[in-house]
Amino acid sequence: MNIATYVRRNLFRRVWRTLLTMGVVALTVLIFCLIRTAIASFTGGVDDAAADRLAIRHKVSITMQLPKHYIDDLRQVPGVEKATWANWFGAKDPKRRVPFFAGIAVDRDSFFEVQTDMLLPPDQLAAWKQTPNGAVVGDQLAKLFDLKVGSRLVINSDIYPGDWDFQISGIYTATRKTVDRSSLVFRWDFLNNDPRSVFSKEKLGWMLARISDPSKSADISKRIDAKFDNNDDQTMTMSERAFQLSFLGGFVALLSAFGLGSLVILLIMALVLANTIAMNVRERTHEYGVLRAIGFPPGHVFGFIVGESLLVALAGGLIGVGLVVGLINHTLGPAFDANPGFLRNFFTPTSTIVIALAAAVGLGLIAGVVPALGASRLKTTDALRRLD
Amino acid sequence: MNEATTTESPSSEPYRGTVTSSTIVKLSGIAKTFYRGNEAIHVLEGLDLDVPTGSFEALMGPSGSGKSTLLNLIAGLDRPTSGTVVVAGADLTRMSDGQLAKWRSQTIGFVFQSFNLIPVLTAAQNVELPLLLTSLSRSERAKHVATAMRIVGLEDRMHHYPRQLSGGQEQRVAIARAIVNDPKIIVADEPTGDLDRKSADDVLTLMERLNKELHKTIFMVTHDAAAAERATVLRKLDKGALQ
Repeated sequence: MNIATYVRRNLFRRVWRTLLTMGVVALTVLIFCLIRTAIASFTGGVDDAAADRLAIRHKVSITMQLPKHYIDDLRQVPGVEKATWANWFGAKDPKRRVPFFAGIAVDRDSFFEVQTDMLLPPDQLAAWKQTPNGAVVGDQLAKLFDLKVGSRLVINSDIYPGDWDFQISGIYTATRKTVDRSSLVFRWDFLNNDPRSVFSKEKLGWMLARISDPSKSADISKRIDAKFDNNDDQTMTMSERAFQLSFLGGFVALLSAFGLGSLVILLIMALVLANTIAMNVRERTHEYGVLRAIGFPPGHVFGFIVGESLLVALAGGLIGVGLVVGLINHTLGPAFDANPGFLRNFFTPTSTIVIALAAAVGLGLIAGVVPALGASRLKTTDALRRLD
Repeated sequence: MNEATTTESPSSEPYRGTVTSSTIVKLSGIAKTFYRGNEAIHVLEGLDLDVPTGSFEALMGPSGSGKSTLLNLIAGLDRPTSGTVVVAGADLTRMSDGQLAKWRSQTIGFVFQSFNLIPVLTAAQNVELPLLLTSLSRSERAKHVATAMRIVGLEDRMHHYPRQLSGGQEQRVAIARAIVNDPKIIVADEPTGDLDRKSADDVLTLMERLNKELHKTIFMVTHDAAAAERATVLRKLDKGALQ
């Protein structure tokens, strides 16, 4: 036997109390990781945005469109290497609302030159350029809808009426894990030439520019906006990161609230843990008095209590890590990958798991310190007088 | 001042009791006052006490007479308001809390009324507890534990938990814990208070043996007249003064 034996045995003195407390710690770690993973999943594209790309939209709102000739003016701005444009189509499966997938009309000649992190085999790119109603889909969407090159796909739009009949010309993959692999991309001229899109004829939803020097993005942005300053439709140029954040809109505030919530959950865990340890200490005060009487110094009593708190937190934290790996990384993550929607790349990174475990252990330490100090400072004679 | 013969405790040779006629406990001019709010309660006043080494003393007195307070002072668990407490050659009033804790672990063996065994540890592990504060190796500790358990007649209950023992057996384990580090003095606070007559007699017989065969000085507080009769010296305390 050694001193740790006493700490270890104390753990299961009140089996259910200990197990329930460990359960709370484990659930806290799981919920913390779940929230953090969801936030990272929503903002993954933002965090991984390319530094050498700028997005240009109407100064008033993304819902207002820009004249087609702006793309030619944009290409003249010093520092802009390549430029392209896109229009939001509001694609939806006519049979079902879920899963959500993005549908975008893009310029056939320049889109994949600017969006270099979407990879399309050259033969498929050539075929797409030759097919007016050709569409390119991400590999995840292709898998979900069982689409192959040459397949026919009929979808609807939230903006444009009727059925839209596409032929799949290619399937793209991504060079970065945060690129949406469940989008549908088709030719802007196909949309522009359709009579149903008369209200957006010769209009652009937004423009994307690849710049030569990312360190000068602020200057280039100013130059672009200055170029259109005296026009009726003024522009707002922003980094790709800011552009993606603008899509999240008010949801950013909600995500921030979730982020704060994840910290509050850790605080609740600390309070539950502190309550458990305080109950244990209250029940064992007499026993600590006995130990002090037979010669154990106050530091040992402090160590017994903090050690127990740490063990509960560590055990609960490790169970929580097991739940995170099993539930999120091996169940939810693959499930979201197989059924793409808003949540992409839904996997808890190791860094988040380490932070959660460290927080559990750190808060376990803090939760144990207060009752440990109280018990270790109590006079031996007073402790001996306390009964359960 | 007469000083008790000192022994290095605990040693690898357990229970080498020493016989001396010197004084092991010397209390001079002891006063102890507690405060309840602003009200001062004088529990002990001007108390002097000499306990010879190797004696078995019983202290009796009505509730509230100061018996436990006196015991706590001798055991180094509490400090007097005034006066000096010298036990086994050490002036306890000059020691820090940390020094007192170390001194207790080497000098004092405690026997409590309600046994106070740790319920999650086996009998042997309970007995081993005081030895965890020493530098003894695991095997040396095991040797001391086995010897102590043999002395109290419970070598066949080493791996039993307190809940698996009778009250008398629990108290004997507590006595084994009290003697395992070869203390110079054993203080017992109502050691038979929670026991039936038969068990109480067994425990008192054991304490007599510890005193006579191992020459342990025993200072026992009790309400039990039968227990007090087994002691070699009977003292009575009333209203904070020895009669």
